[in-house]
Amino acid sequence: MAFVDLKDICVSYDGKTNVLEGLNLQINEGELVSLLGPSGCGKTTTLRVVAGYIDTKSGDFLVGGQNYTKIPVHKRNFGIVFQSYALFPHLTVFENVAFGLKMRKMDKATIEQKVNNMLEICGLTEYKDRLPKQMSGGQRQRVALARALVIEPKLLLLDEPLSNLDAKLRIQMRVEIKRLQKKLGITTIFVTHDQEECFSISDRVAIMNGGVIEQYDTPENIYAKPKTEFVARFIGFENFISVDRQDDGTYKALDYIFKCDNSDLKQAKITIRPDDILIVDEASNLNSISGTIQVRTFLGKSYQYEVSTPIGNLIVNGDGNKVYETGETLHLYLPENKIVLV
Amino acid sequence: MKKSMPYLFLLPGIVLLIFFLMVPLFAILWPTLFPDGFSLSAYTSFFTDEYYIEILIRTIRIALIAAIVCIILGVPSAYFISRCSAKWKGILIAISIFPMLTNSVVRSFAWINILGKNGVINNLLMAIGIVDEPIGMLYTEFSVLIGTIYLFLPLMIMTLVGVMDQIDNDMMEAAESLGASKLKAFIKVVLPLSVPGILTGAVLVFTGALTAYTTPQLLGGNKSLVLATLIYQRAMTLNDWSGAGVIAAVMIIITLVVMKVLNLIAAKLDKRGEIDA
Amino acid sequence: MRRYKGLTIFAILVFAFLFIPLLIIAVTAFGSEPTISFPIKGFSLEWFGKALSSESFRKAFILSIQIAFLATILALIIGIPAAYALSRYSVKGRKFIKSFFLSPTIVPGIVVGYALFQFVVIKLKMPVFEGLLLGHFLVVLPYIIRVVGGSLEQFDYSIEEVAWSLGCNKFLAFFKVVLPNISSGIISAFLLAFINSFNNIPVSMFLSGPGITTLPASLMSYVEYNYDPTVSAVSVLLMLATIIIMFIVEKTLGISALAK
Repeated sequence: MAFVDLKDICVSYDGKTNVLEGLNLQINEGELVSLLGPSGCGKTTTLRVVAGYIDTKSGDFLVGGQNYTKIPVHKRNFGIVFQSYALFPHLTVFENVAFGLKMRKMDKATIEQKVNNMLEICGLTEYKDRLPKQMSGGQRQRVALARALVIEPKLLLLDEPLSNLDAKLRIQMRVEIKRLQKKLGITTIFVTHDQEECFSISDRVAIMNGGVIEQYDTPENIYAKPKTEFVARFIGFENFISVDRQDDGTYKALDYIFKCDNSDLKQAKITIRPDDILIVDEASNLNSISGTIQVRTFLGKSYQYEVSTPIGNLIVNGDGNKVYETGETLHLYLPENKIVLV
Repeated sequence: MKKSMPYLFLLPGIVLLIFFLMVPLFAILWPTLFPDGFSLSAYTSFFTDEYYIEILIRTIRIALIAAIVCIILGVPSAYFISRCSAKWKGILIAISIFPMLTNSVVRSFAWINILGKNGVINNLLMAIGIVDEPIGMLYTEFSVLIGTIYLFLPLMIMTLVGVMDQIDNDMMEAAESLGASKLKAFIKVVLPLSVPGILTGAVLVFTGALTAYTTPQLLGGNKSLVLATLIYQRAMTLNDWSGAGVIAAVMIIITLVVMKVLNLIAAKLDKRGEIDA
Repeated sequence: MRRYKGLTIFAILVFAFLFIPLLIIAVTAFGSEPTISFPIKGFSLEWFGKALSSESFRKAFILSIQIAFLATILALIIGIPAAYALSRYSVKGRKFIKSFFLSPTIVPGIVVGYALFQFVVIKLKMPVFEGLLLGHFLVVLPYIIRVVGGSLEQFDYSIEEVAWSLGCNKFLAFFKVVLPNISSGIISAFLLAFINSFNNIPVSMFLSGPGITTLPASLMSYVEYNYDPTVSAVSVLLMLATIIIMFIVEKTLGISALAK
């Protein structure tokens, strides 16, 4: 049985429209799961339901078999890191980290020992007497993490914790989060809208849209096999072509036949990343199409072409060996194993 | 542009303030120290007169209790407002501002209606039969105190709402996630961060209550004099201008000292609380 | 709001404490008995009629409006340039001058009233109207300095500099560029000053003359010697005016403009 179990969670702010529509999510112990999606998709709402800041309209939320739906926030023992860090500005780093332990009425010596240990792990020992305002963004982030981890939480919840950091620090911090998470073996939910960040850190990813989970899988599987058009678009697929299924299992758009991994879908769209379309010398009669270049864009490593074909405009990334001019005709080959049906 | 330009802009105001505020103030304070040559006799006679001392202490007591009660009532109310949805916040702020904009005669008059011999409370008590005769609640220190609290509570609330609005709700949620109940989180996080606002509000209420005239005049009358009503009585009824000058000096000094001290404390604490985002 | 029961109840009680006394006044204004009673035993509009037809209240009201308006305008004329100078230029002793301009709020109103009474009424023998105007000007000047000053602190002076570079002289730039951009601050300063002048008691009490007094001052004397619902009716009319002002402000500037 899953360690964390969200069952048919419905949430509504105004009593009429649902922000979450019967959401289901299972997380195994020790896993790091990301909730990924555009703003307004319900990922933060889901996190806040888990944290206990939002009451659900219906549904149950279990951790380790125990029903947490009605347990108040301060009795849940979940560590939370906010986007804004939410450090207590009137308390020093040490006092910030000690806050949760003091709430648990631990004795002074234990608190001292646990906090110092956590500050050590997070590389904050030398800053322990500083106030939050005297620290940089990355350091504050670390304090927020230490404060959440020192209470030895059942769950660690991270709400876009990296979005206020600059690009370099972000990569550094996400490696650090992953390291700490694995070291302490804490089941973690990570909310983000950044796909790269999410894929690099997560064991599994739940892609959300409109209050439901569209796909829940490992980053590798999602990257290779998005299940819905929304997921495909979100993770960088382009070139969506409506097709009909033929009796022999191939798919057809106008007179063009595409062969791809089989599916039961009768009517569908095929999609492929711009990087995966090959520019070939000659069109064949399978998985091929020709068209003229409309727009050429320089990407640095190579050029990107927008190619007008009978079945619609396709975006293609060149391989860098040869450069084509606007107006030129291109023959394109869509490899069978790179096409995804949605 | 000439360098003198800004001074030209400031000049009319400065001249008017000097001529019509500083000079008149000087004119009432000077005779208290130099009746015919330097003498503190006006002050010593004030501070040795038990009657005056009683009024002075009563004034300070009312101002102090009013400030404390306003803090006790204002802090939770302001916190409630600051955590409300935008719509409710607007309504509650309007309810708080409305009394501030209403004339203090009207606001004191309201308590005459409630506390008077024919007032709401006495009528109620007599109707249920708890008392047979109306209780004399009006023209007491108690009625002045109630009226003063009523007068300044909105000011305290609005001051605190300004401060508490700055406190990020994430901070409360973080405290809760670390095991603090809502009450604990409030005490450990919101309260310390509100201290500068509480002190500012306390200065406003205390100095305001110390010098308020309308409310003690209407609700205290001659039976419960405070410094402000005493000064009016000395000056206008008794023509004791030296006495009025002494009281004026005492009021100014207490006001300045309290402002200075509490503002210093507030500034000191504010440094600890400030966040640079 | 979620699970804040105790706090909600507490806050409701506090707001009831703020609101109910004024509500009681409003109710008593419609009573039919000759003395104030609550709850009222019969309904009557008699007291409104009495309030509106009272010669002394009407005169006092007109005087209050005149004084409040003129004092505020005067304070704007003198206060805006001062606030501008204080925020725009590095004036020597800026902090000191600013607190000097705010000093009428530090000196207790009753002391200001008494000092002006001694100086303006006794020594200078100034006519009552001019004396009142002067006193109210002193009372409201700090509001102008504070609120307009606050607006000017937010103002981006590079906009003014652009106007200069486009050929606008400094005088014109102030009127064409600076003033329009701080207009909401000026309006809220005007309203606050006007309301505070209108409501002022201590200065008015000292500076009023025989037959020439402001509405709050005459209301105050009336309350001291009478106990009939006329005062309730006047109070209701004043509160109505306040509500109308608040409503207009809320629709235009936002209600917080009155909370400064």
